[in-house]
Amino acid sequence: MSDKTPKDQEQKAAESEVKEFKKDLGPFVIAGETTRMPMVFTDAREADDPIIFANDAFLELTGYERDEVLAKDLTFLLAPGTAKDALPDLDSEPGETNDIHFCHKDGSDFWADVFVHPVKDEEGTVVQHFMSLVDTTRHKTALRNAATLIDELNHRVKNTLATVQSIVTQAVRNSSDPEIVRESIEMRIAALSRSHDLLGREKYDGAGLHDLLGEALAPFSVTEGRAERFTVEGKKIRMTPKATLALGIAFNELATNAVKYGAFSNETGTIAISWTMNEEPDGRWLCLHWREKDGPKVTPPTRKGFGSRVLEQGLAHELNGKVKLNYAPDGIICTIHVPAPQAMLDG
Amino acid sequence: MLVLMAIEDMLADFGCTSITVAGNIEKALALVNSEPFDLATLDVNLDGQRSYAVARALNLHGVPFAFSTGYGEHGVGDGFGNRPVLNKPFNQTQLFEILKGLLADPKGHPSSTLKAA
Repeated sequence: MSDKTPKDQEQKAAESEVKEFKKDLGPFVIAGETTRMPMVFTDAREADDPIIFANDAFLELTGYERDEVLAKDLTFLLAPGTAKDALPDLDSEPGETNDIHFCHKDGSDFWADVFVHPVKDEEGTVVQHFMSLVDTTRHKTALRNAATLIDELNHRVKNTLATVQSIVTQAVRNSSDPEIVRESIEMRIAALSRSHDLLGREKYDGAGLHDLLGEALAPFSVTEGRAERFTVEGKKIRMTPKATLALGIAFNELATNAVKYGAFSNETGTIAISWTMNEEPDGRWLCLHWREKDGPKVTPPTRKGFGSRVLEQGLAHELNGKVKLNYAPDGIICTIHVPAPQAMLDG
Repeated sequence: MLVLMAIEDMLADFGCTSITVAGNIEKALALVNSEPFDLATLDVNLDGQRSYAVARALNLHGVPFAFSTGYGEHGVGDGFGNRPVLNKPFNQTQLFEILKGLLADPKGHPSSTLKAA
């Protein structure tokens, strides 16, 4: 006990008792004072069981100075809203209560299991209570984080299943040829999977736009030296997880179309992808262009396919922006214009 | 995004003629407060945020609505636990049954639906 300013007679008496302890039980008292387990002795002969001894670990746990806790009963530490009977019943024999919600001096919360043992004199009268606390805050926080993660994982799994369901539904709606249905399902699930790979590597904290494009276009560029036939130009920008998934699907649709009908369907076509960040009256926007050139001459489709719907409606809604697909004769130009919250600078 | 498009297709199959989509809370609130709707489905998680503010606005305007969620039954809170819930992934029949149940007028047909997801 480093503090030598006892507040009143009562405390003085209590301290002298502790001194007696010290004499009788030397090493045990030192253990009590220095152990990392927070502990206090209270005076059972007083009505409120005031604290007469608090070790350093207790002071560290609660943030109080010794003279701020002495002569008080443990209830002063309870967090607002925690009932006094959350503490173990002092009148019963050894007792414990778990996960009691306390309040640190700095106002932060902590949780602890509290164990109580009566200390009796030679006549068997309870003269003190010995209380020890086990800080369960970290354990509790870890449990809560795990629960949140499981919830979030479940949410993502369900959303992914719903997306796969939509991919299947769309494929069946758009063709009755089983080969085409199979191909479009496999191709889109693979694209979704690549986006999840990318997000997984980034701990689901979004992804850089360059990485996103690299991942989305990888399967289309490995063959026939196409890698040299597309260029990507733009400052490093980080996209949100939601935008990463949506753009992954969108770029996959564009690239698939390019391979089937566009700039990648012949030997000479090129695709140039570029973007800028623009300050506009209603905030900062990302403006991305996908420009195809030197492919076969483009003729606008007579009927809007799934790909163009994904881009012009799906992507535009998902990212609260505008997406325009221009079937220019020289090559398709897709303009993606989305507000900056979907993209964070300096990624 | 693809899920939303699939739901639009399902609604179109039911004969819904006017389907409006909102991708975030701000846009959904603006729509609910400015246009009349017969029905709505509301994702509990709208662009990373809980959508209860939209739910309250729908209640205020007397628009019947169901939640859709990937969090399961316990995922709907904030006093809306008694609302019908579509658990993702759901199919066309499940959506149809929920919407049918929502329509107060048994003779009514869904004609205008707000879809926020």
